[in-house]
Amino acid sequence: MRDALLLAAALAAAVLGMGWLALAMDAHWEQARGARPRTPAAVRLLRALGALGLAASLALCLAVDHASMAALVWVMALAAAALAVAGTLAWRPRWLGLIFP
Amino acid sequence: MTTAAISPSRQHVVLRIAAAVLGGYAFCWGFIALAMSGLFALGMSFHDAEHLSAMLAFVLYAAAFCWAFVVRSLARAWLVLAGGGALMAGAASLLQATLIG
Amino acid sequence: MFQNLRQAMTWLHTWFGLALGFVLMVVFFFGALSVFDREIDRWAIPESRFAPQPMPSFDKVLKPVFESMQPSKESIERMKDRVNGPMPEHFDVVRRWGAYTTHRDPVLGVFASYVVPNAKNPDDGVFGSRTIDPRSGAALPDDQLKIGSRFFYPLHYSLNFHWMDLGYWIVGFAALMMLVALASGVVMHRKIFREFFTFRPKKSTQRSALDLHNMTGVVALPFHFFFAFTGLVIFAGIYFPVAHTQLDPLHELHEQVEAQETGLPHDRAGVAAPLASVDTMVAEAQRRWAAQGMAGDVGFLAVQHVGDANGYVSIYRAGTDRIALVGNGIHFKASTGEVLREDPPRTAVDGVNEFLTGLHLQHFRHWLLRWFYVLGGLSGCVCIATGFLFFVEKRKKQHAKAGSQGARVVDALAVTTVTGMLVAALGILIANRLLPQAVPAGWPPRGDLEQYAFWAAWLLAMAHAFWRSAPVAQGRLAPAWREQCWAIAVLGVAAVLLNWLTTGDHLLKTLAAGYWPVAGVDLFILTGAALAVLAARKLGRRAQAAPAPARLASEAAHA
Repeated sequence: MRDALLLAAALAAAVLGMGWLALAMDAHWEQARGARPRTPAAVRLLRALGALGLAASLALCLAVDHASMAALVWVMALAAAALAVAGTLAWRPRWLGLIFP
Repeated sequence: MTTAAISPSRQHVVLRIAAAVLGGYAFCWGFIALAMSGLFALGMSFHDAEHLSAMLAFVLYAAAFCWAFVVRSLARAWLVLAGGGALMAGAASLLQATLIG
Repeated sequence: MFQNLRQAMTWLHTWFGLALGFVLMVVFFFGALSVFDREIDRWAIPESRFAPQPMPSFDKVLKPVFESMQPSKESIERMKDRVNGPMPEHFDVVRRWGAYTTHRDPVLGVFASYVVPNAKNPDDGVFGSRTIDPRSGAALPDDQLKIGSRFFYPLHYSLNFHWMDLGYWIVGFAALMMLVALASGVVMHRKIFREFFTFRPKKSTQRSALDLHNMTGVVALPFHFFFAFTGLVIFAGIYFPVAHTQLDPLHELHEQVEAQETGLPHDRAGVAAPLASVDTMVAEAQRRWAAQGMAGDVGFLAVQHVGDANGYVSIYRAGTDRIALVGNGIHFKASTGEVLREDPPRTAVDGVNEFLTGLHLQHFRHWLLRWFYVLGGLSGCVCIATGFLFFVEKRKKQHAKAGSQGARVVDALAVTTVTGMLVAALGILIANRLLPQAVPAGWPPRGDLEQYAFWAAWLLAMAHAFWRSAPVAQGRLAPAWREQCWAIAVLGVAAVLLNWLTTGDHLLKTLAAGYWPVAGVDLFILTGAALAVLAARKLGRRAQAAPAPARLASEAAHA
């Protein structure tokens, strides 16, 4: 049960991380937040949050499995997360706007 | 297909593909033979030499395949790939003879 | 041949991607299904729908089974040309007995190899195998095809095309072209970071297809690269058999040196000897693993030079908790049970090789990672399928104007390889449920009939695809796509219903019991059927909305 929860958290962290990285890009910010402007500081913060999210995901994977396995789980989680974010942008872009104030 | 003044003839295309597929194969065979015998001569275990050579060879094959289409001269592609492969294979057999004898 | 690198890479990616894409679709799809091959076996062989079992007692269960085995007819047939003189009626000299299991196997596969007197090559042999219920030792009937592990799985690495091993070579070349396609794709893709998350489904088919093609290719790039690469490494012995040809003398030299170093005899002594208690050896092996802090189950057990004084028993630990395959082998003298050798820790190269092999062959226990593998495999399929769609969309209007059938042919082949392949996969499952348990005498074995159903369904789908793709030659959408999507939906529901009707294991029952192998397969099929319905309806709406200038023009002409 503990493992399942940690892996779910790892996946969530990866999705958030990818989401923040997407929002740091002009085209996707516009899709998610409309014409609302953002500052260069916000872009830097989004990139930092994105990196943090991905790193947290790796740490959570390492808490569950042997290093060789955790590395694979993490790389695949990143791919799944990227697909999830791209899917959200394609069909419900406003939802992505919810992850940043 | 290209914006070259003269489109390559069908014969040229076939020979390029042959250079990539057959020449590339010969080149990788020679590489594996030389790497295996060479690493074994340097003290690596036989199966380790076998595995390491194979791993490197497949990446090499992909690269050689691409190179066969990028290099300007078709003759050069054949010379380097088939010729290089034969040279490496020959060297490997020589090395084997000294190791056995 | 080309002006620059990008042009060369574009040409390579387009033409070799197209040609080998048809093979790669099969490899990726059946590879994805193979992640759950043993679960598909459970669905196909209802008698095996019980919980996975650990390796049973050798002395009580396996030994009697091994002693009653003989090589298969096919193996003997294949050996006929490689012998000087007659083949014996009965094979008494056993080279090797082996038993292999994982945490997902209820039933156990055992195999044996036999020495052939008068063989041209003394290392050659004939083989036999059997599947048993480990709780009792009872054998499962031989003609029950394990649709997952003995059909879909070999299909993905050999196309089940064994004449001259051509299937292996075709798949190998396709894998190499996958590596080339990945590299050339990266070179071609000018906005690889900017368009990382870009998918615009509401734009033109050509743009949407390209977006999805790029995304599924880039996002899962490590997966695609490593699976193609490790697949090649696993079969390196077939593709570059250097050690058994040019460098065979060096290989022989090494084998003798290794036999001396390890104390594991390469040849028989020719002196008979009994077999000591293997169960005692297994207990000792498990004790040693636990003492090293890695307690585990037995994954693989083998007896070499059976019945001979030089015989030895090798016991390997199941790699359930790590990526690398079975390992930590311990070898015992067969006649006395004394430990001859504990495999030393791996060298760096060996470690990397076992990691790469284990990454691909997946004997580990990790359900999330397995589903991620399925996702990766299906992403590869989407990448290839959208590649086909992009190829056709980009060219069909020009081909229509020029009166060429090129785009139509590619589109029909794409339908065959994408939806047609799914029709075939469902076809074999349906045949599996419809065929009688005992086929009438004189008929081919049940497993063979199931395979004929697979290929027949695929051929039918191909015929339909070519027949119903004429509009592509006029620059429009082929109805074949929509029609095969409906077929997939109907066949999928039929397969799940037939499972219920013929075995009584319907979804509510299997879910309540937590029997995931069968519930999982049923749910996967139903999900696919639902997606097929969505796709069919979307394609139907698109066909209605299409401007169809040709239709208006022909109406005007008739007016």
